[in-house]
Amino acid sequence: MMKYFRHTLATLAAIGVMAGTGFSPAQAQTLEKIKDSGQMSIGMLVDFPPYGILNEQNQPDGYDADVAKLLAEDMGAELTLVPVTGPNRIPYLLGGRVDLLVASLGITPDRAKRVDYSEPYAAIVVYLYGQTDIDIPDAEAMQGKTIGVARGSTQDVAVTNLAPEGATIQRFPSDAAAVQALLAGQVQAVGVSGTVIHHIEQRAPDRFDKKFVLREQVQSIAFRPGDDELRARVNEFLGRVKENGKLDEVHQKWLDSPLPDVLYDYDKEIPHQ
Amino acid sequence: MEFELNFAPVFASYELLLQGAWMTIQLSASAMAIGLVLAVLGAWAKTSGPNFLRGVVSGYVEIIRNTPFLVQIFFIYFGLPSLGLKLDPYSAALLAMVINVGAYATEIIRAGIESIHKGQLEAGYALGLKPRQNFRYVVLKPALRTVYPALTSQFIFLMLTSSVVSVISAGDLTAVGSTIGSQTFASFEVYFVITAMYFVMSIGFSSLFSVIERAAFRYPSNR
Repeated sequence: MMKYFRHTLATLAAIGVMAGTGFSPAQAQTLEKIKDSGQMSIGMLVDFPPYGILNEQNQPDGYDADVAKLLAEDMGAELTLVPVTGPNRIPYLLGGRVDLLVASLGITPDRAKRVDYSEPYAAIVVYLYGQTDIDIPDAEAMQGKTIGVARGSTQDVAVTNLAPEGATIQRFPSDAAAVQALLAGQVQAVGVSGTVIHHIEQRAPDRFDKKFVLREQVQSIAFRPGDDELRARVNEFLGRVKENGKLDEVHQKWLDSPLPDVLYDYDKEIPHQ
Repeated sequence: MEFELNFAPVFASYELLLQGAWMTIQLSASAMAIGLVLAVLGAWAKTSGPNFLRGVVSGYVEIIRNTPFLVQIFFIYFGLPSLGLKLDPYSAALLAMVINVGAYATEIIRAGIESIHKGQLEAGYALGLKPRQNFRYVVLKPALRTVYPALTSQFIFLMLTSSVVSVISAGDLTAVGSTIGSQTFASFEVYFVITAMYFVMSIGFSSLFSVIERAAFRYPSNR
């Protein structure tokens, strides 16, 4: 009886997902699908400057968009950029709404259970960043402080793991909202990346400073599990654009800095299913 | 396509979900109670108050009813600190909900009051009731009975709308659900469960409202 019930539920869910997305069952053959149709759709964040933004024409743009364009050009496919958000990007990928993600996705063991990763294509250093007049030299000193983070982000995981009893963690739907809370004085510090800090300092210089490094994180392109051919193809592409300087060019364009060294010889193991 | 529903990580966090649901219930119930008082005052001002007060209340009702709830919440949480009023996420959420439901309920109760025939009011005065007694027993109570279904469905709607307060990091049921979803990636399962929980809470509030209705408005109706 239980088994029957579970089966029915799974069927209902499958129907629901397929009806909602027009998903094709040939999940493992994404590379072939791209080659056959000459089209690929890539999910990217649009609220994560300068990696993913909406430009003056209201089109997705930024580092991730340029990497996605390079990749589509390299594969000879017509590109559709699909805006996703931090919390929904993995469901978008797994639900088949996009072929792959160039969505500033950091490698974590939890995510590795659901998606496969390419070699890293970007790196972010995440800081605890707060009001200048408050001293927070290390994780222990977060006690009694109110810290804002974007819900479900890598900095959320880092702050949650490091925070001692008595630290209040406030989770917002996006980095923008967490930063807004910092600017409004609703939180004393936020966990954000160096690039977001760069933008805050342009808007509000000298009010805040970097407290300590929460974590250094590399970002990868993400695939549905089983898309090994596509993954190999993308890794080959990444190796090439790192070597010929095209990726560095894009990094200079958006981040005013050379491609982080860690990307050239990344020696940590990338989890894979 | 294989889609395995895996509820285990969701049920493993059932304590968090219950905490979130309790937060939603507390926020909603408080906002309903305070909002009702606000609405009765507003409706009185709009129907029987001095001209100046009528204008103020009309302005309040129109501003709230013609702007999105999400924007109202952002305004209170992110905007008010620059005017020197800093509220924690829960107070900000409660304030936003009270202000919001107060405006809608003001209009509902005003409609109820205007449905009371003038003769009934005069009958009250003929019995020697003072204006305040007359408003309370002869006007307000039958008015509330008339609009009770509209009022309570607005309250239920308020509880469902409270799912928005997670945007200012208040830990209601939706916030807890998104946190669990982003940690386990079992988003569909989480939303399945919290949908069911919202449904149960709505039914619960509805039942409570019918009990209150039977207790408070027992006297015979003329229809």
